[in-house]
Amino acid sequence: MLLLVAIQLLILDDIHLFGYATPLLIGYMLISFRRSSTRISLLLWGGLTGFLFDWFSNTMGMGMAGMTLLAFVQPAILDRFMPKDETDKFRPTLKTMGLLNYVIYVFSSFSVLHFVFYFLEAFSLSDFWLTLAGIIVGSLLSTGLVVLIELIANERKSE
Amino acid sequence: MRGLIEFFVAKKHWFVFILLEALSLCLLFRSHDYHGSAFFTTANGLVGFVTDIVSSIDAYFGMPTRNHRLEAENEILRAEVIALQQELGAKKRSARQKPFRALGAEVIKSTLHKATNLMTINKGAKDGVKEEMGVVCSSGVVGVVSLTSEHYAIVIPLINTKSMVSCRVVGSEYFGTMQWQRGNTEETIVQGVPRHAEVSVGDRIETNGYSDIFPSGIPIGEVIKVDDSSDGLAYVLTVRLSTDFSNLRDVSVITNYRHMERQVLEHKADSLMNY
Repeated sequence: MLLLVAIQLLILDDIHLFGYATPLLIGYMLISFRRSSTRISLLLWGGLTGFLFDWFSNTMGMGMAGMTLLAFVQPAILDRFMPKDETDKFRPTLKTMGLLNYVIYVFSSFSVLHFVFYFLEAFSLSDFWLTLAGIIVGSLLSTGLVVLIELIANERKSE
Repeated sequence: MRGLIEFFVAKKHWFVFILLEALSLCLLFRSHDYHGSAFFTTANGLVGFVTDIVSSIDAYFGMPTRNHRLEAENEILRAEVIALQQELGAKKRSARQKPFRALGAEVIKSTLHKATNLMTINKGAKDGVKEEMGVVCSSGVVGVVSLTSEHYAIVIPLINTKSMVSCRVVGSEYFGTMQWQRGNTEETIVQGVPRHAEVSVGDRIETNGYSDIFPSGIPIGEVIKVDDSSDGLAYVLTVRLSTDFSNLRDVSVITNYRHMERQVLEHKADSLMNY
């Protein structure tokens, strides 16, 4: 968790694609939780990670709200895209879910996180389309990064 | 109860979720001025909207009470309207009976201690004031116009030994003539009231309308003493004047009382003379 927060703060927070789209990789931690994880533990981890991120990036409340919501909906999204015959021990990875399902799962999850974060940051509907574009681009970017990380991890394991 | 507890235990993640979201929103509104002010502005608007609705509902349920109150108020007002209409009708009838116009004027000079007291008013021929027009004030008769200039007029007040006004006792048709005797400016003498008339102290005296100067019913004063005349045929009434001449400022000149009628009659008389 701390590693993810550190990467987010030191590297990713400086990425502003097209001026406004910033990937929020902190969501990766929640996405990777096992199916058997309790919802309470998901919520508490999500809230704590979001709070730490907010604390250091001066976005107090935004990351925490997004991470909490993501923690709340993660089991439902995972149930939708994980293979039907898997047990509760199932851990969502690129390898266990397959590329397409995993990409959709990750993108859906990141969309929730980015949606809450960006709208709370804007806190206005005056730049609605710009905010929506930021959410989509940011979610795509985060999904791309996660897939990349997963690919690298798979490569290392196979070696 | 057990079922309720089981429900709360089963849905405990909902409470944790709501708690964490509430905490994050609190942090958001406390840490960011813009978010805080936008939230509280919206919250105030929302509270105002809800208060409006609650107030409207409250007002709706309070309508029967208000209706009763309004009905009661309407009844009082209706009664007042009827009373005022009656009063207005009486006033209109009274106005028809007294077809005269009054011109407001101010007393600018007056004497009180002579036998032939005079007073000057600030309205004259230019304002329509003519000789032999009556002058009254809010409390009663003042006098008769004697001379006029363009902007001023001289009035012979009741407190002038040469002033004579035909009058009657209120409530009866017995009349007499009022003529002041030098001395007390608050009292005057009425002579010629027949002995068979029922007059007592406290009776009021008013104009009788026999002259073409004053309409009938204008107060002159109140009887304070009843004496017999020297020949024993009539009463001599001592009357306290209703007009305070020592403190008189605002008066009215009766400008058109029977004036037209007199003009017509005089015109006919002229025609007869020329015939």
